[in-house]
Amino acid sequence: MVVYSFYIFDRHAACIYKKTWLPSSFSSSVTPARPSSQPSQPYVNGGLQARAALSADNDAKLVFGTVFSLRTMVRKLGGEDDSFLSYRTSQYKLHYYETPTNIKFVMLTDTKSGSMRIALQQIYVNCYVEYVVKNPLSPVEHPGGLGVNNELFEASLEQFVVC
Amino acid sequence: MASGQKAARVGEEVWKTRVEKVNAELVTLTYGTIVAQLCTDYDYDYAQVNQQLDKMGYNIGMRLIEDFLAKSNIGRCGNFRDTAEMISKVGFKIFLNVTPTVTNWTADNKQFSLLFDENPLADFVELPDDGRAQDELWFSNILCGVLRGALEMVQMSIEARFVSDVLRGNDVTEMRVTLLRYIEDEMPPDDD
Amino acid sequence: MSYYFVIISPADTPLFELTFGTSKAGGDGVPRFRNGETARYMNQFIVHAALDVVEEVQWLSPNMWLKVIDNYAPTNSHISCFLTGTNVRFMLLHQPSAITTASAGSRSSTISSTSIPQNPTSPQTEEAIRQFMNEVFELWVKTLMNPFYTIGKPIKSPVFRQRVVGAGRKWL
Repeated sequence: MVVYSFYIFDRHAACIYKKTWLPSSFSSSVTPARPSSQPSQPYVNGGLQARAALSADNDAKLVFGTVFSLRTMVRKLGGEDDSFLSYRTSQYKLHYYETPTNIKFVMLTDTKSGSMRIALQQIYVNCYVEYVVKNPLSPVEHPGGLGVNNELFEASLEQFVVC
Repeated sequence: MASGQKAARVGEEVWKTRVEKVNAELVTLTYGTIVAQLCTDYDYDYAQVNQQLDKMGYNIGMRLIEDFLAKSNIGRCGNFRDTAEMISKVGFKIFLNVTPTVTNWTADNKQFSLLFDENPLADFVELPDDGRAQDELWFSNILCGVLRGALEMVQMSIEARFVSDVLRGNDVTEMRVTLLRYIEDEMPPDDD
Repeated sequence: MSYYFVIISPADTPLFELTFGTSKAGGDGVPRFRNGETARYMNQFIVHAALDVVEEVQWLSPNMWLKVIDNYAPTNSHISCFLTGTNVRFMLLHQPSAITTASAGSRSSTISSTSIPQNPTSPQTEEAIRQFMNEVFELWVKTLMNPFYTIGKPIKSPVFRQRVVGAGRKWL
């Protein structure tokens, strides 16, 4: 299993943490697609080369847009309590986990990986709550990722993903 | 009530297996010291002290809810009645090892009372004998803030306040919780 | 028997004072010190003098309960002491009532009974005082745990007073 990237969005829809594990060889110079119009286009058409070209900021917005719309759609179809776990394209698989406090965990992996729901929940329980929420020096809200990108959290996340 | 029993079970389970215990006197003394210090800092302006406690609780609650969810692994509540059961039988159980009684519902199911038979925060406490504390200070007011902060994070805007306290000489310690509204999900800000 | 109970801080200031009479053997709990009005300051004086004895005795025993450590013959007063770990002293002055002793100042003259109200030195009395001290010690610890109580300040809590009175009634 290969993990491409990982995002955390807070309840204000802001990206408070992102990390990519993409090898540097993926870089190329394709102009980024408009994030609002066709969220998943670069993944499908341009493959991973295209997505590496996106500025990191746009990337996060894109992922959030996708997830947000999907979630809304899923709820419309399946009722208020329904939620989606993952979707897959020919290039990648996106895993989604949302806490009742509306923190969203998103992970992009290769297509062959199984369900990451438990893993994402474990990241929430063992990394996020343990090292971000319980850190008295980190603010309650994390504008711009403040307080999330501390060493302990990064290290535990890294360990989690690598294993 | 089924949800009540389930909540009690979850609370008991989490309390037994996943909660690290700490000496009760340590908690009581720590909290007592905070309140007493606030009283001196605010020159015994108890309205201010209440407000500060509520504010501190609010900040605690916003964090505590994450720990609560991580430990209990429970999802969203279907209605406010379930929420009340969860607060009492899981929340208070795992953090303070008490289960306040949920009672006095209003007809619209938006307001209930929590009756505290015991309150670990207030052990040993006697309010200052200045003739005002008995009428003005809500010693355990931090709990109101905790509930407000925690529930706000799970999209419920509530108001919580104490209406009686055994420390003041009332028969019971009662907190009134009112659901104001459910908070809508925030939309991402528009880019362009 | 009449009692004068005082808690003394390590700095030798009184933190709590209480006078009461026996409730045993039909006692009404009202103190009747034989030195009358002067008892109010005489008792303080006697107890204060006994502190010197405490200072000597306290190093001879590992116990907190020091039993009767001093007496003041002119009023036939006996002083028992209980020492806390922080050198706060619970002093109890006990004085058998005048009617039961024929001549003030002689301890042995009329001590025939072993009951608590009459005999200030009998094992029963000693045991009762020990129980009383232990109970007060517990109450005192609880009072210290009250966040609004400042260490070293007089104890003003009415609840504490009431409970000490209760302990006195129960044991003495």
